[in-house]
Amino acid sequence: MSLFQLWAFIVKEALDKSFLVAKFFCAVHVTDTYLCSTALVHGPSMLPTFNLTNEIVLLERISTQNGKAGPGDVVVLRSPENPRKFVTKRIIGTEGDNITYIVDPKNSDRTETIIVPKGHVWVQGDNIYNSYDSRNFGPVPYGLLQGKVFWRIWPAGVFGSIGRRPETVDPALKVVEQSNPS
Amino acid sequence: MKLLFGKWTAIAKESIDRAAIVAKFLCLLHVTNTYIFSPTLVYGPSMLPTLNLTGDVVLSEYVSHRLGKVGPGDVVLIQSPENPRKMITKRVVAMEGEVVSFLVDPSRSDRSRTVVVPKGHVWIQGDNIYASNDSRNFGPIPYGLIQGKVWCRVWPIDGFGSL
Repeated sequence: MSLFQLWAFIVKEALDKSFLVAKFFCAVHVTDTYLCSTALVHGPSMLPTFNLTNEIVLLERISTQNGKAGPGDVVVLRSPENPRKFVTKRIIGTEGDNITYIVDPKNSDRTETIIVPKGHVWVQGDNIYNSYDSRNFGPVPYGLLQGKVFWRIWPAGVFGSIGRRPETVDPALKVVEQSNPS
Repeated sequence: MKLLFGKWTAIAKESIDRAAIVAKFLCLLHVTNTYIFSPTLVYGPSMLPTLNLTGDVVLSEYVSHRLGKVGPGDVVLIQSPENPRKMITKRVVAMEGEVVSFLVDPSRSDRSRTVVVPKGHVWIQGDNIYASNDSRNFGPIPYGLIQGKVWCRVWPIDGFGSL
């Protein structure tokens, strides 16, 4: 074959392979945006459900897009104070619910009651002593919810589903207790 | 019998190839419509006289709001804070930290209020303040609810041009 033919053959092969790669990335992107995605969560506001250090969770996008995310669900939402930041909190109430919350549990017992306005949700971290949530920035418009967290995949010791109630014991501690029969 | 089966596989293969081309085109269309720009039908009285009551087709782009380039004076598409399935079109009047003075209910009184826009939020108002449900009613909205920026009008033809 002449040099030009060889070169044309190589270019065609390269294009075919890169189309395959592009199609794969398309499929990954569509799944990530509309079906199921992963998130890295860290911070103290969801203790003991989520540890202080990094944990990887799976979130599904179907519930939030269809308006099916409700009280008890852990959700990832875009922060109303910084649109580039995503936060993970638990939904306590949806529109029309009466929420009674402790304003500042570290300093006082004062509670306030609020009705969640239409189209909004009230989110709180499980660790109310160290959580910046709806008690600070108010009810969040439903449109800011990105996905519902349903499974934890890392660290391996706490692999499993996320319940609809805040954990009362650190999930990592539960595994250690089971392995010690005495 | 074998000949018939051979013909059928050839037809099936060709139809799958054609369908793949259509699928690839739809993929490209979807990506462009969601992340670059797309035509949008906007209607309603709240943006008169800028946008018509009965409906205008505008081109809206979805790049600026991801880069943080939306500012006062831009007409934007927003996910309504009252109904997450509804998209509304309003103009950005003020960004976070700015002070907004607005007429609370201009068709009834001259009363005005002044508000400071909180961090991460924007203040939106329709151009037709007499018939617009906007930040004067539901408060400043988080920047994260902005979905796109309106760029120019393409229909009706005599209104063609940037907004």
